[in-house]
Amino acid sequence: MVPISYRRSSDLLITILQRLATSAITAWAAASFTFFTLRFAAGDPVAALLSRGLASPSDVDNLRRQLGLDQPLLQQYLQFLGGLLRGDMGNSLYTNRPVVDIIAEQFPATLSLALLALVFTTLFAVLFGVGAAWWSHRRIGQLLESLSGTAIALPVIFIATLSLLLYRALRLATILPGESGLINLLLPALVLAFSTSGGIAWTLQAGVQENMLSPFFLAAKARGVGNGLPLLWHALKPALPPAVSLFALEAAFLFTGTVVTETIFARPGLGRLLVQSILEGDYPVSQALVALAAVVYTLSNGVADILATILDPRIRRKT
Amino acid sequence: MTRRLLAVLWLASILCAALFAPFLSTTSPTQPVGDSLLPTSGSLPLGTDQLGRDLFSRMVYATRTSMVMAIITGALCVLGGTILGAWAAISRPIVDRALLWLGDVLLSIPGLLLAMLLVASRGTGIATVILAAAIGGIPGFMRVVRVLFRQLAEEPYIDAARALGATSTRIAFRHILPNAVPRLIPLAVSQFAWGIVNITTLSFLGFTGDPALPEWGSMLNAGRGYMLDAPRLVLLPGLAISLTILALHSLGSSMVRERIV
Repeated sequence: MVPISYRRSSDLLITILQRLATSAITAWAAASFTFFTLRFAAGDPVAALLSRGLASPSDVDNLRRQLGLDQPLLQQYLQFLGGLLRGDMGNSLYTNRPVVDIIAEQFPATLSLALLALVFTTLFAVLFGVGAAWWSHRRIGQLLESLSGTAIALPVIFIATLSLLLYRALRLATILPGESGLINLLLPALVLAFSTSGGIAWTLQAGVQENMLSPFFLAAKARGVGNGLPLLWHALKPALPPAVSLFALEAAFLFTGTVVTETIFARPGLGRLLVQSILEGDYPVSQALVALAAVVYTLSNGVADILATILDPRIRRKT
Repeated sequence: MTRRLLAVLWLASILCAALFAPFLSTTSPTQPVGDSLLPTSGSLPLGTDQLGRDLFSRMVYATRTSMVMAIITGALCVLGGTILGAWAAISRPIVDRALLWLGDVLLSIPGLLLAMLLVASRGTGIATVILAAAIGGIPGFMRVVRVLFRQLAEEPYIDAARALGATSTRIAFRHILPNAVPRLIPLAVSQFAWGIVNITTLSFLGFTGDPALPEWGSMLNAGRGYMLDAPRLVLLPGLAISLTILALHSLGSSMVRERIV
């Protein structure tokens, strides 16, 4: 007989390994989907360059050889996958610089924005979600609930434009110190966090409200846990796993490109790089960015599931 | 109750504007009618935009463009999602799992990036934007339809139909689908709202390939450079997008709450 505790932990390990394997396969499929969508539908990237007068007819053969387009599709595909694993994703059609270098150059801007946005997202989500559930019968609770509803419903293009308009119209730049930091990082981070927090807040609110009606919450009340934070924790803790999963997904999304926010606030970053590369038809850059985003997104999805499994033993038993 | 009434009123007026655009405005939405950024006057209720075009006319025609694009997007999502979801629900487990996995692969690319990938491969254009916005929505809708069909397949009348010798396709579309429709309608409404977000965002980023196109998202983008002199250039399209989405959300959730359909 295997001791019970030992058996449980090996079950958990198997669940984790299975989940990671599924994520890896999905990431591979998403990267392949990216490759083939661009290769089949795009037509010849060199022809696109020619039509824009960015290459002369005499360069065509050279260029095709350089990009590896003269090789069979299967070989190009294998090279793409190999390159993705090695971190070599070809050169930009325009600047002829390695795509990896271009991405590495833009990454810090996106990283700092995403990190700050995640901090605010956590604050907003807990405030809107838990506040709305805890004070659901008071005006403040209803206000918080409508705030998270607004965050879900309003498109980022409008929230961002509106906040920039207010910032400029109220001349906040002249009142507040450190104006360049505020406009370049703080404001975009707040906008991103607000629109990201809506879904998480909603999940938290639903969970806390449900828990506040459940027997264990009544039992905690009856035991005399009090009305303050300890009681709140009883309602909050079981509501955390789904919110954490969602948070991980949103985090991956923030890191892979804050396309709209970067465009509106004229910030450098991966999102803006992607928009630019698509409008210019610089396919090695777009291909690398979308494939990377898919891989990051899938893997963090997997990690989020594993985290939820660890946090909530009930899920573990089911699988 | 009042919220739902407001939502319905707003959506009705939006639809009227879209349908009767040529009767509501007499000037062209793409040709200049005067100097740029003219203020409101008798013949120009909202003044002119940064290129001297009638802003009222542009707003009216933009409503038409955005609505048509969003309706096509929503319809593609609902149609594709329902067919694939029903197919997965009635198929053998291997087909079911394959369809679900394909959906997962599509869902693993964040919606906006998936749309941008399609734009990158097909080039900019209105049709591309619609297709791109729709494809991202299909896997999610497929999952919901599949679960719904699975639930409904447990009902006794399905057993009865099966006992009478009905094929699975017939059961799915003649027996399950009509009973699923009431629960699919609120989902379709929120899918439509989601379509508006995607359409306007993609247009905002310039993927329709036509900066002169009267469309909420592209107008919001084009007006950004002039927003201090003429805030209406960004406020009007922005509010139109936001109010429409809010109205659709509150309509959808009131349908779910009160089970009126």
